[in-house]
Amino acid sequence: MLDWLKNINKEYPEFWKTYLSKFEKKSTRFVVLSTETSGLNPVKDVILSIGSFAVIDNSIVIGDSFEAVLLQYKFLHDNGLSNEFLVESKIKKLGEAEAIKLLIEYLGNSTLVGHHIDFDVEMINAALERLDCGRLKNEALDVDIMHRKLHDINDKQFSLDELCTVYNISKSDRNSSAEDAYKTSLLFLKLKSKLGIK
Amino acid sequence: MNTIAEHIADFLKEYPPFNHLTFEELSQIAMSIRVVNLEKHKNLFQINDVLHDSFYVVASGTINLSVISDAEETLLNKCHEGDIFGLRPFFAKNNYMMTAKAREESIVYAIPIATFRPFVVNNSEVLNFLLESFATNTRNPKDKENLRGKLISDNVFYSDQQSEMQYFQSLSYNTSPLKATITAVVQDIAQQMTETLKNNIIICDNNFPIGIVTDTDMRSKIATGRFPVTVSVGKIMSSPVITVVENVSLAEAQLLMLKHNVTHLCVTHDGTDKSDVKGVISEHDLIVAQANNPGVLIKEIKRSQNPKELKQIRERLTDLIQTSISKNIPLSHVFNIASEINLAIIKRSVELSILDLGSPPARFAWLSIGSQGRKEQLLLTDQDSILIFEDVSADKYREVKDYFLKLGKRTTATLEKIGYELCPNGHMGSNMLWCKSLTDWSKQYDSWMNTPGENSNDLSSIFFDYEIIFGEQKIEDAIGNVVFKNAKNNTLFFDFLGNDALRKNSPLSFFKKFNVEEEGPNKDKFDIKTRALMPLIDGARLFTLSFDIRGINNTFQRFKQLAIADPKHAEIYLNSAEAFLTLSKFRALEGLKNDNSGQFINLEELSKIDREKLKNALAPMRELEELVKNKFQLTQFS
Repeated sequence: MLDWLKNINKEYPEFWKTYLSKFEKKSTRFVVLSTETSGLNPVKDVILSIGSFAVIDNSIVIGDSFEAVLLQYKFLHDNGLSNEFLVESKIKKLGEAEAIKLLIEYLGNSTLVGHHIDFDVEMINAALERLDCGRLKNEALDVDIMHRKLHDINDKQFSLDELCTVYNISKSDRNSSAEDAYKTSLLFLKLKSKLGIK
Repeated sequence: MNTIAEHIADFLKEYPPFNHLTFEELSQIAMSIRVVNLEKHKNLFQINDVLHDSFYVVASGTINLSVISDAEETLLNKCHEGDIFGLRPFFAKNNYMMTAKAREESIVYAIPIATFRPFVVNNSEVLNFLLESFATNTRNPKDKENLRGKLISDNVFYSDQQSEMQYFQSLSYNTSPLKATITAVVQDIAQQMTETLKNNIIICDNNFPIGIVTDTDMRSKIATGRFPVTVSVGKIMSSPVITVVENVSLAEAQLLMLKHNVTHLCVTHDGTDKSDVKGVISEHDLIVAQANNPGVLIKEIKRSQNPKELKQIRERLTDLIQTSISKNIPLSHVFNIASEINLAIIKRSVELSILDLGSPPARFAWLSIGSQGRKEQLLLTDQDSILIFEDVSADKYREVKDYFLKLGKRTTATLEKIGYELCPNGHMGSNMLWCKSLTDWSKQYDSWMNTPGENSNDLSSIFFDYEIIFGEQKIEDAIGNVVFKNAKNNTLFFDFLGNDALRKNSPLSFFKKFNVEEEGPNKDKFDIKTRALMPLIDGARLFTLSFDIRGINNTFQRFKQLAIADPKHAEIYLNSAEAFLTLSKFRALEGLKNDNSGQFINLEELSKIDREKLKNALAPMRELEELVKNKFQLTQFS
């Protein structure tokens, strides 16, 4: 209950201070984020991979992206899981600390966008806590909520695949967090213009 | 490492010109791509938009490329998945010539030109593909079926404007054809054709057509030496001649020519070759009927022999202007076309005078001034011109001046017959005052510009809008030099011009009502020329002179150029340019309606929307006036 008191005078890592200082200005950049996790429990589960793209001026900037596979050897070993898919992947492999640090640098003060983004944010926050940092300060938009708002639906959630079908976005057979992030970006662009968000 | 970039590279490599590149190159390109989502009916770029820094590939959906011709959009091409478009920035610097609009919700990849250019330079196949694609804008340039009519060129405005109407359109043709008997000698006939500028002659027997001789017969049968020039015409004529009835339609005439593979049809009383000859239809008549098109008009002007023919052409120009305006062709284009044709008419008038008077004793230049000099003459307005001849020795001066005065009189008289009224102020090359040697003109400009207002109330600012019509370019250049030399730091002159520009009465009253004429024949009408157009024209002239911008006489273009030269006030200039076009259009429409110069607008006849539009177009004037006052430090009373 009084946890925050313990943290009040804590010295943060350097990259986190830089991150906090970025919020003095407001950003027009959106970052569409998708993570792959080992499960749905923010405390016990870990992030396995991250994919994200920047959206600036109504277009996805392919070059402005962040992708990483997280080397969660300890977690996999503890749970008796295979780490083969990690070894096979050609994407940049990073330890969790390194990956989260780079991600934070990449995000800056941008607005986050994702499908059920609050879960991704929770996962990242948990990882940040392990690095003695605070919680993410970015504003976040959820494409599912945007879709429901557009159609005034309150009683139902939509999966990413369902949304893609509604908005006529082709599904690819390949599945990765980068792929999901890209699809979410397209969804976001469409929803953004339909909702008239600047 | 970027998964999506690789997916995009995978996508691109299926389509030309990207299939000529390696996967690594494509991945590199893909890294700098932007992905753009377009809602249905959303424009990616429009005609006259500033060029983007990238070209586009359709990732999904359909993009329509169109131009505005007639009052509606004409579809040039549809781009589907994998098609490239928007290549203009590669090859040209001016703005987009077409509109790209999403026909359905679409996703396009924007590939930055800067990234792609190195691959184009190093790969000739890619370059060729882009070039062909730019010209046709279909994916596969070899596909001839798609290629037809899709050439993206500037004259797209004038193609395909004929509707089904042409099948019912009747033809006007030569109703007094040349005729000869079968025994006539070829040489005489050739002489006759040459003198009358005809390319055919009908050979008759008792006024019944039995054959025709055309330029082709002369070429294939005489010039090749198969027959001597002294042979009788019966030996070389084409017979029988294809005959048609009077009032044949355009389409029918076209069909007959194609069917019989001939270039001329003979019109007879009952359509057979056993009745009287009424006329002859040539291919040329068909072309004329198909389009009152500017090219044809200019060609005809060059061939015309007398003022009457020129007058007819000038009347057709009015038709052309009217249809152009009603088809929403941008007014700046209409100005260009109209001025080219006016220019050709005046030039031909000078030529005709020279043909009558014999060659001139000295070199000279005939300059149009005023609205024609600014290339803004849409309607028949009065003629303004000056004549400058080169300096000659004193003993010859009289004689030379006499010749040029005569030339001036004759030309202005011809122009009057065509329909250009004489200038009420006598600003014409036929006037003693405005037909002078180069030295005299230089002095004249010197005195106007250095001592404005003194001993000469006849300084009219129209003398600073001039355009050479006929003669020596060097003479115009010399005058240009004098003007700009004197304009430099000449505050007195700018003061004078500036006050002249400000002197015009304001168009709107204190209560934002139009200031209309209070008396006279045009009572209650709005004088758009002096109250709205002149201040803009004067302003544009004043600023171009002060910014030393040469060679641009057109008010619209002057403002555009000023926006570049003086970026601080670009907005004011651009607004003025737009306002000028809008106001000119009002004037042109009024003029076409009443067959006059359109100087006075009858506000009663305007719709409420048009009245508001007119009022809005008057707004930029105020800003321009302020700018004049500031720049040249004028007060209302100086």
